[in-house]
Amino acid sequence: MSDPVSGIALGVVIVGLALSTFVTRTSFLIAGARLRLSHRVEAALRYAPVCTLAAIIVPDVLLHGANATLDLSLLNPRLIGALATGLWLCWSRNIFGCLASGMAAYSLARLFL
Amino acid sequence: MTAVVPERVGAFRSGQRAIIPSLFGAGAWGLVSGVAMVKGGLTVPWAIMMSLLVYAGSAQLAALPLIVAGAPLWVIVATGLVTNLRFVIYSAALRPYFAEQPLRKRAALGFFMTDFTFALFMRSAQEGKLPEQHRDAWFAGVCTNNWLTWQVSALAGIVAASYVPTDWGLEFTGTLALVALVGPSLITRPALSGAVVAAVVALLAHEMPFKLGLFCGALAGIVAATLTDAWQERSPPATPASA
Repeated sequence: MSDPVSGIALGVVIVGLALSTFVTRTSFLIAGARLRLSHRVEAALRYAPVCTLAAIIVPDVLLHGANATLDLSLLNPRLIGALATGLWLCWSRNIFGCLASGMAAYSLARLFL
Repeated sequence: MTAVVPERVGAFRSGQRAIIPSLFGAGAWGLVSGVAMVKGGLTVPWAIMMSLLVYAGSAQLAALPLIVAGAPLWVIVATGLVTNLRFVIYSAALRPYFAEQPLRKRAALGFFMTDFTFALFMRSAQEGKLPEQHRDAWFAGVCTNNWLTWQVSALAGIVAASYVPTDWGLEFTGTLALVALVGPSLITRPALSGAVVAAVVALLAHEMPFKLGLFCGALAGIVAATLTDAWQERSPPATPASA
């Protein structure tokens, strides 16, 4: 184990990470005119939000602990919280209600289960 | 200086309003990221600099243990780069909407885009809720509020790290905000099948390094959604703008 990265090296790392954000986020927006995807691919990308969010949300809700074991049980507090938000969403589009109900259900489940 | 155009100001404000209810998610996520930076061993000035310059919570949290372990610099930066790969998909999806904008504006809108603001923009665009002539101003409004909220709460987390409870699971608010955002989109068959495939692949591939499982899941989901769409034999929806 070596020492933590610090000083100038840490500055270099932070600038490198900032560049990694910039390059990925602006990639096609900057190079788009020259580096064009086909219309078919661009049309397919309307599903990008739904698919990336599902790929972010579901592992975060279902994988538990340091070993990231799959927890599909209805006692999983994160699953309970996500379900509460989903149920709230079914009868109201009020985002604040969605967040409040989800966090309340999640916190209660963590307290009592 | 160009003159202030009332419609553009209106579009900007409308974008700012559109994200307000969801800002609890950005705030909680920023706060927890800020705390994690300091508890992970960064000094306050470095943590602030990282938050301001990098502005990508998941990449920062992925890089943090490597920084603490003294990993080679290129390994740390490569980890951040791969964790950020999903943004390339977002960038490609946004391209047609901003194709007519000048380069500096496209670069700025891209840099300030996040998971949440991207998904909110796409959903609003697909629901026809954007001011067509001024969608850049609308998106700038969304991103401004998201950035301010995230940075202020990250700063609070950095400065007050020892006072913020880390065992309350506050960061889960960020995930719930994404749930509330994506939920209403799941009513069509292509979207639903894409989401299911993306989730299953992301679960199966979660052991891949650098959050590559997320990236693979997203790609697989997009393919599945497109196939479902073709199978339904719908006429292919046009991409926006002049494309």
